Amino acid sequence: MTTIAFPTLISRPTSYTGLWSWIGTVDHKRIGTLYGITAFLYFLVGGIEALVIRAQLAQAESDLVSPEVFNQLFTMHGTTMVFLVVMPMSAAFFNWMVPLLIGARDVAFPRLNAFSYWTFLAGSIFLNLSFFLGGAPNAGWFGYANLTGSTYSPGDGVTFWALGLSILGVASLAASFNFVVTILNMRAPGMGLMKMPVFVWMALVTNILLALAMPVIAVALVQLSLDRVWDTNFFNPAAGGDPVLWQHLFWLFGHPEVYILILPAMGIVSEVLPVFSRKPLFGYPAVVFAGAVIGFMGWFVWSHHMFTVGLGPATNSAFAISTMLIAVPTGVKIFNWIGTTWGGKLNLNTSMLFSLGFIGMFIIGGLSGVSHASPPTDAQQQDTYYIVAHFHYVLFGGAILGLFSGGYYWWPKMTGKRLGEGLGKLHFWLMLIGFNLTFGPMHWLGLNGMPRRIATYADGLGWEMSNAIASAGALLLAISVLIFIINVIRTISSTQEAEDDPWDARTLEWSIPSPPPAYNFARIPQVKSLDDFWYTKHPELLHDEQGVDAEVHEPVEEDTHGGGSIHLPSMSYYPFVLSIGMVIAIAGFMQINVELPGTNIQFPWLSAIGIVIGMWGLMGWSMEPVTEEGGH
Amino acid sequence: MNLRRLLRPGRSRLLLLIPFVPALLVACNKEDAQSTFGTSGPIADTQADLFIFIFWIAVVVFFLVEGALIYSILKFRRRGSDDSIPAQTHGNNKLEVIWTIIPVLILIAIAIPTVKVIYDQDGPPSDQGPVLEINVRAHQWWWEIEYPGQDVVTANEIQIPVGQWVNFVMNSDDVIHSFWVPKLAGKLDIIPGDVRELAMKADEPGFYFGQCAEFCGEAHAKMRFRVNAVPPAEFNEWMDSMRRPPVELVSDDAKAGQTTFAANCSSCHATNTWQGPAARNERTRLAGLRSAFLDNQEDATVIAAPNLTHFGTRQTLGAGLIDLDMDSLMEWIADPDDVKEGNRMKDLAAPYRNDSLSSDDVRQLAAYLLELKPVDADAVVDAPSGGSERTAVERGAAAFAGSCSGCHSTGSNPIVGPGLAGLSTRGDDAYIKESIVNPGAVVVEGFPNAMPPGFDSTFSAEQIDDLIAYLKSL
Repeated sequence: MTTIAFPTLISRPTSYTGLWSWIGTVDHKRIGTLYGITAFLYFLVGGIEALVIRAQLAQAESDLVSPEVFNQLFTMHGTTMVFLVVMPMSAAFFNWMVPLLIGARDVAFPRLNAFSYWTFLAGSIFLNLSFFLGGAPNAGWFGYANLTGSTYSPGDGVTFWALGLSILGVASLAASFNFVVTILNMRAPGMGLMKMPVFVWMALVTNILLALAMPVIAVALVQLSLDRVWDTNFFNPAAGGDPVLWQHLFWLFGHPEVYILILPAMGIVSEVLPVFSRKPLFGYPAVVFAGAVIGFMGWFVWSHHMFTVGLGPATNSAFAISTMLIAVPTGVKIFNWIGTTWGGKLNLNTSMLFSLGFIGMFIIGGLSGVSHASPPTDAQQQDTYYIVAHFHYVLFGGAILGLFSGGYYWWPKMTGKRLGEGLGKLHFWLMLIGFNLTFGPMHWLGLNGMPRRIATYADGLGWEMSNAIASAGALLLAISVLIFIINVIRTISSTQEAEDDPWDARTLEWSIPSPPPAYNFARIPQVKSLDDFWYTKHPELLHDEQGVDAEVHEPVEEDTHGGGSIHLPSMSYYPFVLSIGMVIAIAGFMQINVELPGTNIQFPWLSAIGIVIGMWGLMGWSMEPVTEEGGH
Repeated sequence: MNLRRLLRPGRSRLLLLIPFVPALLVACNKEDAQSTFGTSGPIADTQADLFIFIFWIAVVVFFLVEGALIYSILKFRRRGSDDSIPAQTHGNNKLEVIWTIIPVLILIAIAIPTVKVIYDQDGPPSDQGPVLEINVRAHQWWWEIEYPGQDVVTANEIQIPVGQWVNFVMNSDDVIHSFWVPKLAGKLDIIPGDVRELAMKADEPGFYFGQCAEFCGEAHAKMRFRVNAVPPAEFNEWMDSMRRPPVELVSDDAKAGQTTFAANCSSCHATNTWQGPAARNERTRLAGLRSAFLDNQEDATVIAAPNLTHFGTRQTLGAGLIDLDMDSLMEWIADPDDVKEGNRMKDLAAPYRNDSLSSDDVRQLAAYLLELKPVDADAVVDAPSGGSERTAVERGAAAFAGSCSGCHSTGSNPIVGPGLAGLSTRGDDAYIKESIVNPGAVVVEGFPNAMPPGFDSTFSAEQIDDLIAYLKSL
């Protein structure tokens, strides 16, 4: 059989250093690093947007920014923090840690993994280009129709938003398939599903949610784009369309999305607490089951975002009850985490503090959530600052603190150096205090009648003091992030090296060098129990109840990979090429109504260029072998 | 552990208390105008009670769970560099079942009153007297208010009688808005293309603050309104007054302002809905203005705008933005965008586009609008009420002013529909009559088919004859 010749045009990257090695990389650790750095940069962008918002609202009748700019800022703050910070930062941890935690050498589809990242990066840049090309999206992060229609949102901002999110959705979908397959197929021998670390479990649930939720928003975004670009009427009530349809589609995606944002952080906390309590996770099966149940029940609660839409008493009652039910598995997790610390030897280092802070703040967010699970009380709270307070307690007090905990925990593994503890603790305390100063008073603001998304407010409504405190808190939050950055810079420039297993930890990634070699595991480990590495170090602690023989556990000697040299997938530029081509093709929709100069022909020239580039990437990708002959 | 150890200086655990400081600093004042506490009607009362019920449950859970967490942190923290391994517990089925069941019980306790209240608050009760129906139509960024069947139209300030259930029948002409008067009831979204109904009752008189709660575009923050709950007698008097003619203008400024208003403002703002036909036609007039705006957004010069009938009796301006007085009104007229950025008047109205509004004009317009007040009830008896002494042309002119002038000028300039000067040269009586009773049949070229049907029922046959007489005189 002959191979089909395909013009290479670019030769396959071979050097493992330099810019091109990053563009061509298929190494899950490098891709994880790229995700992490990008997400952190967007954390700064979204944070600056938030600071301007807080500066504007620090006092009544402020006109620091115009309403138009303010609307762009809160739209982009929400969009950025959800899609460009928490999701990719979670993806950074999935990339880095899932293969290490399951004893694999890479993800199932390394080139698809690279494609996910480049698509995410290109999509995020495309979205933010709107700031410089006529104005950013300004219709809110949940972009309610029919305000997003071209009648009420003329200009390109909302089109940037719809197409940008579509691109990001493609990246998320590709990543989700990759991680589901990786987790199901590539676990080290002996690692049954119930011997998987909780973080991997939560990664599995999250990625299943992503794979199922992203198509829902994709449908809505395509409809919105068509409404805007080709004047269809999916959401146009004047032509029989239904703006409430958008809300159903958006929240049918949007509520699972909430769990997509929080479950990875819950997974991190479930890893950190046992290590620094020096105890196993309390009720591992319950924590895993609760996570899976949350992922499942997350599909039946979306209308609680729509209690004031007027869907009728039966609908509101049903969704009130399903929403209250989902509080049960969430509570189970919290109780089990506290149970994990109970009776332990708590090492209150920075990572542990962030995890404990996560629990403390998440409790508050959960409790305020119960108060608007009840539609009659939600009728007063919906679309007020009470809701803003609630979801920041869940997504900042929850997801962000959890991700920082994971950052401090895995930093030594990822870089071979430990982040400074002194600055780390300062970072934690300033962030915890700043966070509560910022978002605590917002509960009062909401109950005191302040709607969200208002660019300014009148004097004399009793909102001045709370807003001033919130803005001061935001400044403290900014300082805490600066301290984190200083900590990172100091750590990078220090020469102190971390041990391979600095925390006396429990999971497989700590059994290999820090930072790990490209192939991760010289020998694929043989797993006998949950927390296998811990019991390798402390065999006397292994009990019958865990379903394994209490015999002393020796690493398997033979190389399960067949004894030869380790084959890793070769680098490739084609995922990058395909991403760029696809993003240009989608961006071309912006130009679809532009006529060719000097003619009256409307030709989507930009899309055409993108499709050509994309086809080149796709063909090149499918023609090149995964591992080049002579590669390693 | 004892208290002295806990409070020993230098212990970072005290910092754990700091996050709760905001709770102490920011007290909730139920007197604040938009507070969801200190409520004044049964709907908001019940919602607040339910919240307080959930709140106290949450407080108990909060202290138990956070207490357990903090206790565990303090009690089991590592001392020194003790690396010994504590007792290894993997779980406790009994405990885990208990802490699954307790939340279930708590949530059942919350769910039962929740569902009960949802059904209780589904529409006004049928056994508490007649329900006053009020139509609300939301616009970017103001509120059109109509008392159906009562020939009363107003904007942004809603009068309701204390002690009577009111049912707001709500619709939107553009995007989604949300109607929210915190002291009286939780919010309900208003969905374009659909009708939403929200019932509430005020138990005490008050000037209640309301605000649009769903993000609706550029001036969302300033889409506010008021509900003025007054004793029933006062309410009835207000309803009457909204059907009485305005008082004679007194000041020269006001008289000059009237002319300026007629020339520059009256295409969009009606001041004449004290007349029954005009009130009944106001909705169609506004819808016509709106479709004229949508048909040509780029160069539109008109849009549906708040009704200003008896504007001088209102207390606020700019959709509940600021207290109405001469200064605030002049500030508003001089530069509406400065007070409420994004509002459409600055973009659309000719005097702003041509920059032709002098400071005299501003003062005169304000004076005129502030003098727009109804005559006293006893004065109405003397007022001409249909006037058999008036000629057909005069009667037709009054009918025209009430129902037609929003869309048709009496000159040659088009508004929504064509200007009607020289109409008699364009067709005979039959043509004019057909144009009135069956507008779709004779659409003038270049104009949208925007004129609503139904004028044959708005006007009596006699009135149509009067109108024809008037129109032929142009």
